[in-house]
Amino acid sequence: MSLHTALVKIEKEKISSEKAKKFIASKENGAESIFVGKVRNKNDGREVVAVTYDAHDQAVIKSFQSICNNAKNKFDENAKIFLEHAKGYVPVGEISILIAVGSGHRDEAFKICRNILEEVKHQSPIWKKEHYLDGKEEWLPGHSLRPKKEVK
Amino acid sequence: MEIQLKLYGSSKILSNEETLSIKLPNNSNISKLRDILKKIISEKYSKSNLENLSRTAAFFSEKNEVINDSYKLRDQEFISIIPPIGGG
Repeated sequence: MSLHTALVKIEKEKISSEKAKKFIASKENGAESIFVGKVRNKNDGREVVAVTYDAHDQAVIKSFQSICNNAKNKFDENAKIFLEHAKGYVPVGEISILIAVGSGHRDEAFKICRNILEEVKHQSPIWKKEHYLDGKEEWLPGHSLRPKKEVK
Repeated sequence: MEIQLKLYGSSKILSNEETLSIKLPNNSNISKLRDILKKIISEKYSKSNLENLSRTAAFFSEKNEVINDSYKLRDQEFISIIPPIGGG
């Protein structure tokens, strides 16, 4: 098995970098690239305490698999890829997304990791609501999936 | 006719439930649904930063595929509203 993707309901389990490292480990790979995205404590000058991630579960998993398979086809068909994204309430400092890639060479490992991150942001139906220190909360703007030719 | 709209992201402001029932004239399409959503938002949620939602949202069919503005809705059809996304 060379691909693992999941949406992790964070109230029930955590995203684990150890699990990711184990999954991509292979004697055939000379490079491992791991990206860990975390909730940070400031955005646009506001003090953030947590982010709630909402997701269209089925469409997210479908998009994750498509994104990872496209990256393998483009850069390295033998790459091992681990991709998990959080769903639910994630406090500052905790992991929101983890991408781990094992590949024959460093260039492909870096490229696959970056490609997956950018494509997830542009294709996967996931939304962020920030929770602020002052008790307020706000859904963040994002990238529209409406077909471009329809937008007036 | 009436459809069931599953809410995601910022659209959850429109209801405390997961799904919003919306009444539409018979033979309505997604374009008509956008008009009705715009009206609902301007009447009840004008202070909630949702003013662009009816224009920027995509809609998914029950098969989780993007449906375009000419897509004809069926009575009691279950579709999802997909506001602009931004995970990671």
